[in-house]
Amino acid sequence: MTRQVPSTCPYCGVGCGIVISVAGERIVWVDDQPGNLSSEGMLCVKGRFGTTFVNHRDRLATPLIRRGGELQPASWDEALDLVAMRFAEHRGRFGSFASAKATNEDAFIQQKFVRLVMGTNNIDHCTRLCHSPSVEAMLQQFGSGATSNSYSDYEASSCIMLVGCDPGSNHPVIASRMRRAIDTRGTRLIVVNPRRIDMCDRATIFLQSRPGTDVSLFNGMARAILDAGLANTGFIAARTEGYEAWLAAVREVTVEQCAEVCGVAAEDLRMAALLYANPPQLDAREPGSCLVWGMGVTQHTNGTDNAHALLNLALFTGQLGRPGSGVSPLRGQNNVQGCGDAGCIPDSLPGYQRYDEAVPAPFEELWGGGLPRVPGLKATDMVEQIAGGTIRAMYIVGENPLLSEPNLHHATELIRSLDFLVVQDLFLHETAQLADVVLPACSFAEKDGTFTNSERRVQRVRRAIAPVGESRPDWEIVCDIARRMCAHSGLDTRQFSYSGPAEIFAEMARLTPFLRGMSYERLDREGGLQWPCPEPGHPGTSYLYGESFPRGLGKFVPVRQAAAAEELPDTEYPLILNTGRMLYHWHGGTITRRVEALMERAGALPVAIHPDDAAAAGIVENDTVVLFSRRGRVSGAAVLTDSVRAGSVFIPFVRLGESAANFLTNSAYDAQSRIPEYKVCAVRIEKKRERKDAAGAPGIGRERA
Amino acid sequence: MSLILNGDEVEAGGSVLDAVLAAGIELPHLCKDDNLPAIGACRTCLVEADGRIVAACSFPASMAKRVDTETKTARRIRRGVLELTLAMQAERGDEGGPLAGETASTASREGAAVDRFAVRTGRAVDATSPFFSFHEAACILCGRCVVACQDLQHISAIGLAGRGRDTRVTPGAADTFRESICTSCGSCVAACPTSALRPRGGAE
Repeated sequence: MTRQVPSTCPYCGVGCGIVISVAGERIVWVDDQPGNLSSEGMLCVKGRFGTTFVNHRDRLATPLIRRGGELQPASWDEALDLVAMRFAEHRGRFGSFASAKATNEDAFIQQKFVRLVMGTNNIDHCTRLCHSPSVEAMLQQFGSGATSNSYSDYEASSCIMLVGCDPGSNHPVIASRMRRAIDTRGTRLIVVNPRRIDMCDRATIFLQSRPGTDVSLFNGMARAILDAGLANTGFIAARTEGYEAWLAAVREVTVEQCAEVCGVAAEDLRMAALLYANPPQLDAREPGSCLVWGMGVTQHTNGTDNAHALLNLALFTGQLGRPGSGVSPLRGQNNVQGCGDAGCIPDSLPGYQRYDEAVPAPFEELWGGGLPRVPGLKATDMVEQIAGGTIRAMYIVGENPLLSEPNLHHATELIRSLDFLVVQDLFLHETAQLADVVLPACSFAEKDGTFTNSERRVQRVRRAIAPVGESRPDWEIVCDIARRMCAHSGLDTRQFSYSGPAEIFAEMARLTPFLRGMSYERLDREGGLQWPCPEPGHPGTSYLYGESFPRGLGKFVPVRQAAAAEELPDTEYPLILNTGRMLYHWHGGTITRRVEALMERAGALPVAIHPDDAAAAGIVENDTVVLFSRRGRVSGAAVLTDSVRAGSVFIPFVRLGESAANFLTNSAYDAQSRIPEYKVCAVRIEKKRERKDAAGAPGIGRERA
Repeated sequence: MSLILNGDEVEAGGSVLDAVLAAGIELPHLCKDDNLPAIGACRTCLVEADGRIVAACSFPASMAKRVDTETKTARRIRRGVLELTLAMQAERGDEGGPLAGETASTASREGAAVDRFAVRTGRAVDATSPFFSFHEAACILCGRCVVACQDLQHISAIGLAGRGRDTRVTPGAADTFRESICTSCGSCVAACPTSALRPRGGAE
């Protein structure tokens, strides 16, 4: 007997609707959901074929406690008692990472535990490593840190500008929706990327800019728009402030100067600017432009400046607040939007409510305890401050920082030096191997809950199979730890007693103004709903900023080009390393390395190198090559391609074998957002002396059966 | 708009097939996936509309006054088309896969004979992708996979090549799916009504 369970894909932030077919307690097939408004019947390879990790033999089946240096199986009671006791000892020196792969309910409970029971705001999640500059910049300029529009706006737009992202690899269904707009409506595409991504095949203009020069690029575009008289003066006058100061900064540069800095043709830069500011009329719809960006903008020491420069362009041209326009930071993880919405960030409570006088009161009243007022540490700072003793115990849920942090040798040393580390996850990954206690968590397929996708759509996740081994949903585990600690904290254990995720969601909705109109009952009946949805009769919101910004007026923030990166090539390390994603793996690969078909398709780390650089180093296609930076080395298979600029190499940050990009990357941070500079560091490449069969990936060259 | 469908008045927009399926009437539609636009290739949804035989999937309901799915002529022609369709499959039976048996169950409901015509001989297999495989012997050339790839995902990695009895599904200009521009999204596998495209692993 096969049964079908509708749910939401666990991979990227697109949030595709899936239907899981289950026989016994195994997933036998994942199908698309034609009626889902985010995915419209589409899936990608990871969603459709990549969920076998759920039943992988590596799944953690019991809690583990380190005894005599070894992690050994333990009962839940033993493990939870130990965790509760040691956490209590470490109040004041405690930090926690929440998981953007877990549900809203899991995230909400975790931040409640950290704030109410541990008495600290030291809680953060992986947005610190991906879109924290976008969120910082949007909060400053608009007063809200989310995508302003919906995927349907890409299809209703006349021009899409894709900056520093590769949706074909990382958001495949969004890429399909964009291709549909381009193929059927004639929507124009501008691609800004140091790498020629697949979407360039359909681009009207491709600006292959130098890494780290985004501020120049966008200021140059602004200058071109200004010179052409295409500033949206009506919008600027009615809806914005700070225009004059910003304009002064833009007037300091010319289009030609900017193009020179970015390494692109001035004419291309000008054309892109005019196309974005003045998109063509394609049909009866009012022409609009969408701005879509990814980590290429943010993962720089000047990441927040880059995001400001980009958002200024949208304000300058008025390309937001109506259908077919808007600004979209493409969110990476399935629930990275929701994890932030639920309050897993160090400076605000659920719903991005900052610690102003009045805000904590409803929380303290409902939760029956005081909340800490001191802002917490950001994820990257928590790790760096282990050295100084500020953080001595950590609770890491559904994250693997020892693949995702920069400069991994350095990060590993720090994490290893903690007094007490608890890791809660599906697999015994690199970070879990260093833990004192490991707690087995359920995957998305074994629990109920909600995910919030990149277009702010809250969608149901439904239990399809029984928990694997003794694994349990994250929220249940956190509640069990919290209840053990309530007595000593003067809290009522009922604060952590829930009948299920629906009750948790109801509490979250009650405390979060923009979710107040949502409930499981509505989500089950109507399908996903987009926030803001402030009251039960509200239909949800497909685009923001139609009338005003949450902060009132949109704010221009003047930015000037700073140094392109902290570490640039020199004679010893002559190449720029760029990192990113690939279609057949998910991020560090903790999950996708446990999907056999994905490993068969992509088992070797591809090192993309320009043919000129390869020739200079005597490297041919498929050679095993070694990349060295000042911090480490990795090896992979050479892929000769002019899709990368000469003088640069690209590798995805998935770990394959012993190789992971973050052994090379630099622990240099953007001052405001504390995001690491994953996108630029200096490396040297060498052909591996002892030549092995680099084609390593099984399946390559297989005969047609 | 309304029309008389098998004697009952029903409200109808869209195609005749939409009206038929909305009324809960079974009708073969091997090349029309619920998720994809009509192709009009397989001719297994033929019905009688105001005395003419039309393909329900692509005939607008607004152009019909009276539609009958079960007239003697409609049933006979449908059966003939299905028997020709079955002759395209060198491989018989239920091979598993997401929509397995759609052809088989349709044929039995319509009373089509499995062996009326000589079968097509194409038996190529492409198992180069670790995610799915293609079995020409089970393919009825309905074109759903082509539409799924082209009009849903906008990849265009699959096409139909050749003419007449030599027509076949191919991975575009490439020799194998592995070497093609295919992104392995599996929309073609989900759309295939015969499991000619089928997931690797359990259902293979």
